[in-house]
Amino acid sequence: MSTRMNRQRPFFLNLLAIRLPIGGVVSIMHRASGAFLSLAIPCLLYTLTLSLRSPEDFAVVRAFFSGGLGWLIGLGTLWALLHHFLAGLRHLGFDFGLGESKELARKTAWLSLGAAIAVVGLIGLLTLTGGAA
Amino acid sequence: MRHVGGARRGLDMWLLQRASAIYMAVFLLVFLICFLAAGPIDFVTWHGLFAPLAMKVGALLFVAALLVHAWIGLREIFIDYVHFLVPRLALYLAFGALYLGCLVWTVDILWSVK
Repeated sequence: MSTRMNRQRPFFLNLLAIRLPIGGVVSIMHRASGAFLSLAIPCLLYTLTLSLRSPEDFAVVRAFFSGGLGWLIGLGTLWALLHHFLAGLRHLGFDFGLGESKELARKTAWLSLGAAIAVVGLIGLLTLTGGAA
Repeated sequence: MRHVGGARRGLDMWLLQRASAIYMAVFLLVFLICFLAAGPIDFVTWHGLFAPLAMKVGALLFVAALLVHAWIGLREIFIDYVHFLVPRLALYLAFGALYLGCLVWTVDILWSVK
């Protein structure tokens, strides 16, 4: 009887209708950025190969990331790495019992979200105007 | 079907996920310092960064930690979203094979820097 009741408990997972708290947003972005980075590993290793193989291939890599689509891909990957890094530090803190209060957890959520965007935005601006990536 | 692995496996993975994260965070900071200290980056300085044996070993450990970390992370995603055992296990093992290949490839990349 009780298992039957458990199986019929309300089930609501419409991601478009749920309003996540900021910690939930940072957490799901941590997962999404982690999934992206995991899939990108072979591409990153190939980039490393090219960059170390010869001066010509190094120049190809630099040219790819210095403008257009490559520039966007580079910034996007950097943002995924930085967001995953900062949100991960926040989660590691929780494991050690640091910053678990609701107020502080919300502050560090905003901080990790904002800092990653700010740093990548700054690098984007610098490479946009300076050109020297 | 019996569970694959023992009851402590989840805890081992939990711990390995944190340990690899800490190593990667420390290595990335050290690498960033070396990178900035190397001056303007061109092929010669970039190539030179990977010349010392200590950097090769440190970077190889970084990639090993990255691959373990990614594999455990993907496993968690598969457990949440792939609800049938066979495709879940197939994905998990396929990424294991891919990442093992990536580790061997990384040895080749790093040790080809003379």
